[in-house]
Amino acid sequence: MRFQYVFSEIATGLRRNLTMTVAVVITVSISIALLGTGLLIQAQSDATKGYWYDKVEISVFMCNDYDIGGNCSGAVSESEREEIRNTLEDHPEVADVFHESQDEAYERFTEPLDDPVADVITPDQLQESFRVALVDPDEYDGVVSAVSGLPGVQNVHDQREVLGPLFRLLDWFQVGAIAIAAIQVVAATLLIANTIRLAAYSRRRETGIMRLVGASNFYIQLPFILEAAIAGLIGSVFGCVAVFALQEVAVNQLLAPNFTFTAWVDRGDVWMMVPWLLLTGVLISALASFITLRRYLRV
Amino acid sequence: MIRFDNVTKVYPTQSGPALENLSMEVERGEFVFLVGPSGSGKSTFLRLVLKEEKPTSGRIRVAGKDLHRLSNWKVPHLRRRVGTVFQDFRLLPNKTVFENVAFALQVIGKPRRQINRDVPAVLELVGLDGKHDRMPDQLSGGEQQRVGVARAFVNRPLIMLADEPTGNLDPATSVGIMKLLDRINRTGTTVVMATHDQSIVDQMRKRVIQLESGRLVRDQSRGVYGYTR
Repeated sequence: MRFQYVFSEIATGLRRNLTMTVAVVITVSISIALLGTGLLIQAQSDATKGYWYDKVEISVFMCNDYDIGGNCSGAVSESEREEIRNTLEDHPEVADVFHESQDEAYERFTEPLDDPVADVITPDQLQESFRVALVDPDEYDGVVSAVSGLPGVQNVHDQREVLGPLFRLLDWFQVGAIAIAAIQVVAATLLIANTIRLAAYSRRRETGIMRLVGASNFYIQLPFILEAAIAGLIGSVFGCVAVFALQEVAVNQLLAPNFTFTAWVDRGDVWMMVPWLLLTGVLISALASFITLRRYLRV
Repeated sequence: MIRFDNVTKVYPTQSGPALENLSMEVERGEFVFLVGPSGSGKSTFLRLVLKEEKPTSGRIRVAGKDLHRLSNWKVPHLRRRVGTVFQDFRLLPNKTVFENVAFALQVIGKPRRQINRDVPAVLELVGLDGKHDRMPDQLSGGEQQRVGVARAFVNRPLIMLADEPTGNLDPATSVGIMKLLDRINRTGTTVVMATHDQSIVDQMRKRVIQLESGRLVRDQSRGVYGYTR
């Protein structure tokens, strides 16, 4: 294998098809940037969920004197409360159980000052409750159904429901970004295939002679495949730079300083993606050219 | 060296077969003219030897290899043992004489040392000493064909195929190319030359195989062209 030959062929090819090479670089960088954006949104969505899930808990409200019907027949009794506590503590998905009495609920309720409602509320109107932290916040269903039928339980409230719309929005962002990226990747693949076909056509005289004098297929195809891979690599690098820029401008400068109540993706998250983005860019380019050449440079 | 057994080749787009039930054998070191009108199957014959086409039926052996059993990835190795010369020379216009010949060795991965030894030797053999750095468009037709022959011969093939190598050359230049092919033949290389050039065939007095509509109609040692166009 004479590498000097291979590299001079690549250089010639890239130069001769400069416009198409530039087109490939641009398309690959846009697809990789979109793919990176999709992954960034995914990482953001994970970060958001992780941040909020830790704070999410299930509240099991127990009956007070005024609750009749359902599981309630007046205030929850001592034995009912213990039964509920045991059920929660024995459940494998439950990490921690905290009891809030009516007095504590009253304190928390009246804590915000100058609330006129607070003046007419008495502790016995409020409900005592168990606050339950979960091992895996996604697995709330089992816990909810385990306790919601027990006597003395008035209502089970899952805070996840409040965050549900936010998470669904994040999920849609994620799907949308990945879908656009996928379409771009398809477009990039087709464009690369077309470029390589043109390159193969413009060098058909050389490749024809190479076949004739017995050059192996590998040797004939290698310059084309490397040419595509190099264009793909350059495009991917630009794409990664765009993702870094997006993270810096959109998150570090715009969102994170203004919305401090949640977690944001940081530059480390982007660095984690870089190898995959580069690999994707190089692989789709090399693969697209390999498949094209199988059709156009046959023995 | 080349053996065809009942070889038939039908191209899907054509009505009649390009070659029909052809059986023949070329021995090692022979010089064979392949004659016949256009469309008689000469080019198909050469393409079959190179395994650029597969026969519809029949068996072909080249240089001891059964082409039917030869897997695709071994075809390049077959072609390294078969040099080919064309009517239109097929040189690379942006490479010098030396580079054109060296190209054939480069692309099969030969080391630079061997290239620097073998290319000047073969250029001397074909009579292009001192023209290493010329570009193809600075050469006459005959000289360009000598580069073509040098490229086909530089890897010392067992077989040399020539598809109308003198078709674009004037008679005097053609004689020079024929002398060159004859010299190559004398080194022990089997030469098969498809041609329309009556005077050359008549002068050389070599074996003549005549095809017509894909059929072998004459196989004559020390033959002449034998029909008029």
